[in-house]
Amino acid sequence: MRTAVIVGAGLAGGSAASTLRQEGFDGRIVLLGAEEHPPYERPPLSKEFLRGEQALADVYLRPAGWYGENEIELRTGVRAERIDPGAHEVELEGGERIRFDMALIATGARNRRFPIPGLDLEGVLDLRTVADAERIQRAAQPGARAAVVGMGFIGAEVASSIRSRGVEVTAIEPFETPLFRVLGPDVGRVVEAFHRDHGVDMRFGETVDRFEGGERVKAVVTKSGLRVECDFAVVGVGVQPNVEIAEGLEVDNGIVVDATLRTSAPDVWAAGDVARHDHPVFGPVRVEHFDNALKMGPAAARNMLGARAVFDDPHWFWSDQYEMNLQMAGFAMTWDDLVIRGSLEERSFTGFYLAGGVLRSVVSVNRQRDVRRAMPLVKAAIRPDPAQLRDEDVDLRTLLPAS
Amino acid sequence: MAKFHTVAKAVDVGDGEVQAFDVGERTIAVAHVGDDWYAFDDVCSHRGCSLADGELQGSSIVCMCHGSEFDMESGDVLQGPAVEAVDVFEIRVEGDDVEVAV
Repeated sequence: MRTAVIVGAGLAGGSAASTLRQEGFDGRIVLLGAEEHPPYERPPLSKEFLRGEQALADVYLRPAGWYGENEIELRTGVRAERIDPGAHEVELEGGERIRFDMALIATGARNRRFPIPGLDLEGVLDLRTVADAERIQRAAQPGARAAVVGMGFIGAEVASSIRSRGVEVTAIEPFETPLFRVLGPDVGRVVEAFHRDHGVDMRFGETVDRFEGGERVKAVVTKSGLRVECDFAVVGVGVQPNVEIAEGLEVDNGIVVDATLRTSAPDVWAAGDVARHDHPVFGPVRVEHFDNALKMGPAAARNMLGARAVFDDPHWFWSDQYEMNLQMAGFAMTWDDLVIRGSLEERSFTGFYLAGGVLRSVVSVNRQRDVRRAMPLVKAAIRPDPAQLRDEDVDLRTLLPAS
Repeated sequence: MAKFHTVAKAVDVGDGEVQAFDVGERTIAVAHVGDDWYAFDDVCSHRGCSLADGELQGSSIVCMCHGSEFDMESGDVLQGPAVEAVDVFEIRVEGDDVEVAV
């Protein structure tokens, strides 16, 4: 009997295991997870779950019993140490070895930890797992004071959710707006306005120097000398891929995979946050979003079964903060033109990011449909007429060239 | 036993549109694509968003909240995060009326 071993029971790993079964693979499937939970969705951890609106079981990808019913050997609380592509073995902590015919690495990412003095103080928190979210929940009592370090997506969503629980929030961000690097200043200022309206005290151009306190954090001090008193802090400064298992495989800001998600070793694939994918439209890219994990896991599974299909999803994600639903598709590290359809002032708009005349990514605030309709345009790397993007009477679907 | 309920005038659900209607205790999404009509549960099986707010793509609908895609004929999930199908209902156009069997 053939054996598929999936290292990592997050969204990519969990959805890959389901796809293997759904596509008729009748061999053994071993799904290894370092956390104690079956595969679950992380997006609610900074939103509904953090606000106490959703229970843990509601965020599971599938009910806990589903894996056994489908003869998937889900082993949680198990850490894989090493993969040996030559011997076709995965070695677990403690020395157990599992032989595979094919393997998928979906080990995800972990939060970056910079060497900041005081980072280990009690009350300096971050968010990746259910356990992390529960720690923030316990600290986020009405009237408590929080310092949010970093206004990327995690920081901005946590700020929004804990504001709704009555926490006083001061945000410390090195750039000039929230989400600056992804969205740029124009759209970033709209996000800033939502947070300002909801009473977040934002300090831009500030970098953390140290956390102060005895055992427990009492203040965050920035390099410019700003001192923010707090009862707890949440640090959201990005993630790094969990590549340690991949010794011997090609690694470059993630485990390098080709267009079909195969690593440099035969019979070993990678998917999700850990995979640096050779994307046919965007080039080499490592994506840390939910939808990517959910699509890449199944795509890798189908290729493990011989499909050999290029993964060309245009990438999509959303962020909910207060009454703002932000959605984005595509990928642009840099751009030279931002075309707006709708109104930044009225906070209902879609922004199109162009580089060298090519549409590379699309963001919307409270206009989800535009993003959904622009996804095929991003995938086709069209060179649009900016006037048509701006014109509300032009149906975006008509901008796709006939193939 | 399902029985047909008139939910709308056919002219009020234009080609390429999807709208939600309350039928008894349920909210049903009705989609009109060319000569085809579809009726299905308006409540996304993932997190409960309205599928009538979704985007039609051929004979499927994509939820605007988190991207789940359902086949409107069978209710089956074509793309997660949803894992459960949505209920589908028989639908017919009788004269000017759109009728759904619930």
